[in-house]
Amino acid sequence: MSTLEQTAVRAPAAPTPGTAEPRRRRRLRPTQWIGVLFVLPATLYVVVYQLVPVVYGLVLSFTEYSPLSRSGPEWVGVANYLALVGDDDFARALAVTGQYVLMVLPPTVAIALGLAMLANRPFRGIGVFRSALYVPHIVSLTTVAVVWLWMYSPNGLFNEALTGLGLPPQSWLLEEDTAMPAVAAMRVWKALGSNMVLLLAGLQSIPRELYEAASTDGAGAWRRFRHITLPGLRPILTYVVAMDIIYLAQGFAELFILTGGGPLASTTTVNYLIYTEAFQYNSFGSASAMAFVLFAFIAAFSFLSIRGIAGRRS
Amino acid sequence: MSSSSSRGAARRLLALALAGPVLALSACGLGGPPAADPAETGGGGTHLTVWFPGTNATEIELVTETIVPRFEAETGATVDVTFLDWPDMSTKLNAAYVAGTAPDVFGHGPAAVADFVANERLTDLGPFLEQLDPADREDMAAALPGGQVEGTQYLMPLSLQASLLVYDADAFTEAGLDPDQPPATWVEAKEVARELTERDGDRITRAGLLLPSHPIGLQQSFATLLYAAGGSQISPDGTRATFASPEGTQVLDYITDAYSGEQAVAGSLGHDLSTLPPAQQPLVTGDAAMMIATAPQVQQMMSADPDLDLRVAPAMSFDGSTPPAAFGGAGPGLMINADSPEQELAWEFISYLVSPEVSVEYTEGIGAIPMRASAADSAYVSESPVLQAFLAAAPDMVPNPNVAGWVQVRDTMAQHLEQAANRKLPAEEALSQAAAEVDDVLARAR
Repeated sequence: MSTLEQTAVRAPAAPTPGTAEPRRRRRLRPTQWIGVLFVLPATLYVVVYQLVPVVYGLVLSFTEYSPLSRSGPEWVGVANYLALVGDDDFARALAVTGQYVLMVLPPTVAIALGLAMLANRPFRGIGVFRSALYVPHIVSLTTVAVVWLWMYSPNGLFNEALTGLGLPPQSWLLEEDTAMPAVAAMRVWKALGSNMVLLLAGLQSIPRELYEAASTDGAGAWRRFRHITLPGLRPILTYVVAMDIIYLAQGFAELFILTGGGPLASTTTVNYLIYTEAFQYNSFGSASAMAFVLFAFIAAFSFLSIRGIAGRRS
Repeated sequence: MSSSSSRGAARRLLALALAGPVLALSACGLGGPPAADPAETGGGGTHLTVWFPGTNATEIELVTETIVPRFEAETGATVDVTFLDWPDMSTKLNAAYVAGTAPDVFGHGPAAVADFVANERLTDLGPFLEQLDPADREDMAAALPGGQVEGTQYLMPLSLQASLLVYDADAFTEAGLDPDQPPATWVEAKEVARELTERDGDRITRAGLLLPSHPIGLQQSFATLLYAAGGSQISPDGTRATFASPEGTQVLDYITDAYSGEQAVAGSLGHDLSTLPPAQQPLVTGDAAMMIATAPQVQQMMSADPDLDLRVAPAMSFDGSTPPAAFGGAGPGLMINADSPEQELAWEFISYLVSPEVSVEYTEGIGAIPMRASAADSAYVSESPVLQAFLAAAPDMVPNPNVAGWVQVRDTMAQHLEQAANRKLPAEEALSQAAAEVDDVLARAR
């Protein structure tokens, strides 16, 4: 019997409209109830602490609401969203957020891939090498930002190094042209470890036989990388890029500590603006609207990046 | 056990498990409870919750180990004190108000008061203050206005805060200037600063005069100079911006020229000096000869380098044509939650903290300027020329306006002042744009 015939035989018959038997209510057995109870705490956690706040945030985005107010949220429809259309600060923050993602993402992925390929070779001390590269990931972002704040300070490590080389010190975080690149450099360093580990796992999942066969056929290093490594890494690369976009587009803590959104709002991302709007100005409605617009942008760009890397069929 | 009874038990368990979170959520009212009826909130309370802003270790130790235990012993009440990090203060207070768990007494800066008042969250302290001896109120006269909104007292300041010109006497001497003759006006201060500024090529290696220039600091520098020039930030009725004036343009140009151009007297525009440890302050490291600083900053710098001869100039006029003025007034203080059932006890706690002896003890503990004029006779002030200078400036102190939406007004001003200070916009245009936006903010906040 052909595969097609087997499939045809095993496929259940589609119910004919109007002739199907009434669906019987399936009752859970006592042991299944116990299973439900085991799942319940995690489900409640997700619903209460993740789903409810998101839905509540969406509702708030259609209201005007100060947490100090005694009257509670006042329905304003889409006014908060319409206000964002003509809001120069929000438009600028969106551009800054995009700039931040573009400054961090390509170098992070490229360097992490290079390091992963290096860490994929057997040599003495490979464990220490991999661990050292992973350390920045396990240190909190706030702590890392505070350390880099000192390194960028007028009398910090970078300026001491410049002075030692006979070069004038720089105001890294105080100049409009250098503030964002300075923050991006810190974020690249911070993100390298986790990206490298993921890409290393991807590299180790590529069968060695493919490389051996390609070498036998005379393929050089570049052709092996282009035609074996990159296609083999595609699934994990898609994941890395999508996750990086999601995390970077929500950048806040490092900017809060290093630049406070300045100078001249050159590092004010959308998330920073949301924080200011909600917690400095008590405008939870407009802050929620900003959050959902940001969500839409992140979802769109993540989708596009997944389509771009993984391809339509994936 | 039959299957139906076990199903029933399982359903009851499930219902119970769901009921907890649902009830917890339904208890989260959005607007919080209504204000307590003053008629029902008489004295006789025995327990008080108090939130203090800041996590200054010295202050925490002083309050929790000395002041509060004494208050508890004297009154028989119990007081739960919590210290909150400044950046978390508003967030946690907002959440507590929404949940109906706000403390009976809490501290904050004067800039936050008007928004609480606009939402009827604070108790009017006027009736309590009227119970005090008039001489007692007069003793606190310099501090009280900073805690008022439209003439009503809502915040009781625990200290005064002010920004004055502080200078390194040795730098004056080295430059051939008389350290006993500090500049008398801000215009004169800039001239002196040019003599004190040191350069290595184009780079300034020692600033002659450092004005706070990070966004909030820039607004404070602007206010300092604007008040000294006879200007104001907001109209007396709190409805419109008044800083877009000839005085405003004049002082903003002053700030811009201090940081750029051939006559610049400082570098590192935008650097937040307030977050630097005392030993890294520019007057300590020799990176500046004069700067605007607060009393605690000066005292901490002198502790970091006891050999440093720092002196404080009196409050100054901008160019001598107007009376002297200093940016300052009430520092952080305490407020009573309007919903607190312990109104009398809350006031008792506040009045204890601002009583003459405790007030001096408290401000000495945190290195701040006492809020009472009579503190000038205390050993804490009389033995400190720095504090004497700050306290002497108290009558000339002018605070930020207490209007609803002030935090957003301040940030809006700072954003445009930064544009001008970086020469992205002429001063006049920056101030006009800022004024238009500030007017909008004030209108929305009313």
